[in-house]
Amino acid sequence: MSAGSPGCEGVRASRPCSLAALGIVNALGRGSEEIWPRLLAADQGHFRRRDDLVPGRDLLVAEVSGPLPEIPPRLKRYACRNNALLLTALQQIEKPIADTIGAVGRSRVAVVIGSSTSGVSDAEAAIRHKHLTGTLTEAFHYDQLEFGGASSFVADLLQVDGPAYAISTACSSGARALATARSLLALDVCDAVIAGASDSLCGLTANGFSSLQVVSDEITNPCSVNRNGMTLGEGAAVFLVTRDSGGIQLRGVGQSTEAHHMSAPDPEGLGAESAMRDALEDAALDAAEIAYLNLHGTGTPLNDAMECAAISRVFANPPPCSSTKSLVGHILGGAGAVEAAFCWLVLSQRTSGSLDLIPHAFDGQRDPELPRLRLVPREGLRTSLGPVMTNSFGFGGNNCSLILEAARS
Amino acid sequence: MIATTVRRWSAWSPGLEDANAWSNWCAAPTELASEGRPDARFLPAMLRRRCSSLARILLTAAFECCKPTELGEVATVFASRHGNINESIELLDRLAERQPLSPTAFSHTVHNAQAGLFSIAAANRRASSSIAAQGDSFACGYLEALTLLERDPDRPVLLIVGDVPLAPTFAPLVDEPPGSYGLGLLLARGGDGTQIAFGRESEARAPNAPGWPDAIEFLRWYLSGEPSLVLGSARRPWRWERLQ
Repeated sequence: MSAGSPGCEGVRASRPCSLAALGIVNALGRGSEEIWPRLLAADQGHFRRRDDLVPGRDLLVAEVSGPLPEIPPRLKRYACRNNALLLTALQQIEKPIADTIGAVGRSRVAVVIGSSTSGVSDAEAAIRHKHLTGTLTEAFHYDQLEFGGASSFVADLLQVDGPAYAISTACSSGARALATARSLLALDVCDAVIAGASDSLCGLTANGFSSLQVVSDEITNPCSVNRNGMTLGEGAAVFLVTRDSGGIQLRGVGQSTEAHHMSAPDPEGLGAESAMRDALEDAALDAAEIAYLNLHGTGTPLNDAMECAAISRVFANPPPCSSTKSLVGHILGGAGAVEAAFCWLVLSQRTSGSLDLIPHAFDGQRDPELPRLRLVPREGLRTSLGPVMTNSFGFGGNNCSLILEAARS
Repeated sequence: MIATTVRRWSAWSPGLEDANAWSNWCAAPTELASEGRPDARFLPAMLRRRCSSLARILLTAAFECCKPTELGEVATVFASRHGNINESIELLDRLAERQPLSPTAFSHTVHNAQAGLFSIAAANRRASSSIAAQGDSFACGYLEALTLLERDPDRPVLLIVGDVPLAPTFAPLVDEPPGSYGLGLLLARGGDGTQIAFGRESEARAPNAPGWPDAIEFLRWYLSGEPSLVLGSARRPWRWERLQ
């Protein structure tokens, strides 16, 4: 071991970061092959109502339907819905992960997982049980609830020994996990990162956001004059991230905080603007080069107003935009990774130099008060190949914008 | 290994509230106390009222680690194993009784609540991350701070690490040293301070588990003058070395 090598210096000039493989699950389905056509079709048929989340409310949610894979018995202390979603995503990329571990060694694979809920839905059941019987459920283990349990679960499942930690910065958690993965590779503390995020529907977020009066009774309607809140969703997206220079690259990371309010964005969108500009600068790109922008687009009056205003300041001619939250709901701590995954799909499904963009599903009644964005129409839009951006803005004023790009061959 | 300069430190635990108290503690370290929280008078009353004990401790460490001109300029990493889980448990108890939640209480249960409160109190709009890693939260927080330095090498990173004891509902489920504490480290790529290298310990060995949190063991080592420190588990041992 040589002490004092520069570490932070000399690695920034070129830092390839390949998003080499993707596992994904959300209300639209499981795996890229199932989800991609449903994204392109702007399929809104996967929402359902649940009356067990918020007392007295039949809440519309974007839930992952059907049984989830069982957590292996040796890892049952991690057995919660949030980790079952992670497992669903990881199973899709078992082979490339195993190949990479074989090539670089277990101690050179890191794990970074974003979440804002971790296994709180399972903790809710345990605490309800305690209120009835005086004891927690037998199945409950603290590893299910604490944020670090998610990263430990993935590391134990894959039996990798590199650094393993969880990032929880509310709704930017998933985007931040990918930003961290790129820096861990640049710092050479590992040769591959399992990076992504997972969030699961639970009483805490459903009641919490309901109490903030930001949950819509209908499917969220981003950028519409009729928008009245978000729809909660759940899911996971996990990437195998490597130092390869090919494939789909994480090209830019932009970050900011707001110094404004714990649960509301700055109405001017200064933090959002700063994150987008920071990502462009990091990627050394002009705003005009961005081919598509996946909006944070929660469908709350305040988010969409501030985000559209910020975009109109960053982009003289905004690129085609869409919010995918009207297809899969707001996956909160998972959203940043899931929406980076949608950008990854847009790039990886390119045909002869063109990108097929994901429609912006809403009622078509634009809010005339909002700066006019180029929303991708229902029938879709084909545009020429270029880098794409995704925005994630979270509670506590934590913002992260990412830029992905197909490697230039 | 990755070299970084520790420009400044700060720490708070009940009864250990200034540098002098900590240097005395380091000469004869004992378990940390759990009860108590700082006044945090530097916070506006409205903000202070919304701060949990953990928030008061972490914001005290944060404000004491920065000069006033640095407060708005540093990037931040908040590392905490449990974060605001005690506050979340209170909300889960309410949900079990089908009681409505307070929107303010809910928005302060996010793991990055302390980071958000710091951003507001310090008028700081710089990059910020909040992490957790079970028993490895200090080392992983240190590593996350290095990732922010990698992204923006000229901007010092304020690393804030801390926890308060877990509420009785879950405390029996977790084995960890007792105590309420917060540690602040202002990390930078250069400048005045102590140069320290950080990386993976090459030998797979189980480091000695101190009777206090890893972050505080780091402080004890930092103040001791000993050449190196190994913390973590046999599976993931971490090493710090003094370079000057």
